[in-house]
Amino acid sequence: MNEEIRFVQAEMERCGYIAEPAIATAVFLAREMRRPLLVEGAAGVGKTEIAKVLARMLGTELVRLQCYEGLDTHTALYEWNYQRQLLRLKIAEREGHDPGRLEELIFGREYLLERPLLRAIARREGPAVLLVDEVDRADEGFEAFLLEVLSDFQITIPELGTIRAEHVPFVLLTSNRSREISDALRRRCLYLFVEHPTLEKEIRILENKVPGVSDKLARAVARFVQRLRTRELRKLPGVAETIDWTQALLRLHRNALDAETVHATLGCLLKDEHDLKAASNETVTELLAYAAAGD
Amino acid sequence: MKDGAHGLVAQLARFAGALRAREVRVGLGDEVDAATALTLVDLLDRDEVHRALRIAFKVPREAWDLFDRLFEEYWDGNAAPRREAVRQALPRDHRGPAQWRWDGERVRLVVPERAGDRAGDVPGYSPEPLLRRKSFERCSPEEIAELERLLARLEVRLAVRRTRRLVPTHARGVVDLRRSFRHALASDGDFLKLARRRRAIEEPSLVVLYDTSGSMDAYTRMLLGFAFALRRIIARVEIFAFNTSLVRVTRMVSPAQVARSLERISAAVPDWSGGTRIGGCLEDFNTAFLGTLVNRHTTVLVFSDGLDHGDARVLARAMRALRERAGRILWLNPLLGDPRYKPEAEGMRVALQFVDHFGPAHDLESLERLLRVVG
Repeated sequence: MNEEIRFVQAEMERCGYIAEPAIATAVFLAREMRRPLLVEGAAGVGKTEIAKVLARMLGTELVRLQCYEGLDTHTALYEWNYQRQLLRLKIAEREGHDPGRLEELIFGREYLLERPLLRAIARREGPAVLLVDEVDRADEGFEAFLLEVLSDFQITIPELGTIRAEHVPFVLLTSNRSREISDALRRRCLYLFVEHPTLEKEIRILENKVPGVSDKLARAVARFVQRLRTRELRKLPGVAETIDWTQALLRLHRNALDAETVHATLGCLLKDEHDLKAASNETVTELLAYAAAGD
Repeated sequence: MKDGAHGLVAQLARFAGALRAREVRVGLGDEVDAATALTLVDLLDRDEVHRALRIAFKVPREAWDLFDRLFEEYWDGNAAPRREAVRQALPRDHRGPAQWRWDGERVRLVVPERAGDRAGDVPGYSPEPLLRRKSFERCSPEEIAELERLLARLEVRLAVRRTRRLVPTHARGVVDLRRSFRHALASDGDFLKLARRRRAIEEPSLVVLYDTSGSMDAYTRMLLGFAFALRRIIARVEIFAFNTSLVRVTRMVSPAQVARSLERISAAVPDWSGGTRIGGCLEDFNTAFLGTLVNRHTTVLVFSDGLDHGDARVLARAMRALRERAGRILWLNPLLGDPRYKPEAEGMRVALQFVDHFGPAHDLESLERLLRVVG
């Protein structure tokens, strides 16, 4: 393995993220090639976490743009603070200001509301980590706009002129695949698909993320969840759910799994009514037997 | 040395060509990315090269198996590209067009072109109420033709659903300050009228997957007619036929010529009226079309009796993938028209847990009821 990739992997682990080689390779390549990284995968496998860890690793600011249906450029880029401009005008009217100077004043930077994209580009102190979260939730039209920003890293504001990025931010896009990301945007990025972790990785994540968990419980929980994922479920539990569940078990002062506790806390893992109903006594017994077999 | 680098790029190009030949969308830009990535990684580490190429070529998860196979072929064995393999992967059994025939018991494919000669056409008599509830399986060719006319007149309306996206409007809505300001410029800064925005109307789309296996024969025609009726109100309707393989038939069908369309389709669909491999076909659909045709505004309509001859695990996997993407999945099973029927076939049981609506589709009335669900 390339030394530098190994280094990235070690650094990410130091910051609390257990990265498998594929993730470390993708992060390394994206940084070297100065390309955005598109991360896809099921819900709860730790896509967003990658960006957070990166920001920590590089000691920089994480700028997050949460996408949603109806997100438009004003919310993503910038907006003039109309209310403030209006007030300023009213005051100026009374004082009898020079209109030319006034215009300069109210279209100055202090009347500009920086939204995430502008914030990431205009940052002076060094490159930020820009997280465009759940980009599949935004409308397709927004993607085209994003594409433009991500290729030029400059934003033109008619009243102010063009703002160019002094430091090109490290861009991470995540998608839950509720729809396909357009080819054009995908081509702009490097692509990483994150899968559910392997047993060993999940155990390490638990030990890392849930302080105070015993080796035995971590192993039992991880085996239980791994086995659960092979079942026909509507929504497979992700690592996030595994962590929640382990924390819940610790709160209940349980150091081993038993049928009663599992039934009481299964809501931490299965977040679909249909799946919960399908988890019958026999199912749980079978899963518990499998989990215990790892001892 | 120079030769080696050149060889690597040529190999990369061949590899990309092989991916393209199997419908993995790989562009020239991706090849450049891949070449760049290869300069950055440890070329002696097979797994690292594998990972780097997968990242740089932007290979979607569905195509990973294919990618792995090709990677083995091109980078491990260094084999020359085999064109034949591509053709063999898509077996097509071109048989002559099948025909609808009335064999005294059941309607099987193709009825007379024109149904102008309506038998027993007594003025004032409308067979409609009776026909509505007659199972397609027991209809005569004349009755089928009549039903088709009814279908074509079907009153279809969709409930209007609004997205969260805001578009300019003259009606009521939230104030759009940006545009209001611009308008105000025309009147020396006075806000004579406020510009407003409201939520846009959502455009639904529909994907119809219908089973052409032997057990579904009698219904196929009606269901197609129904799909046409839906096409009048939903802009994007895609129709696929499947049995042992999947065929996109959207462009082969036209509402004006149901019978002709059917012939065309049956010529294109291999093994029309044969056994079914539901899971495999759904999986094929997912690989090729899930990304482009299905999003959360999409209703997926499956017409099938759920008698699957394939592996139930494959079916479950395909249904889950579909479930994650689609807005809604409706499964119509004509067998439900029989009160004694219980969905006990393994395929049907597995599929049911991923389905939002499970209903009958054996007569016109049940199709009309379905409209309320689709709308």
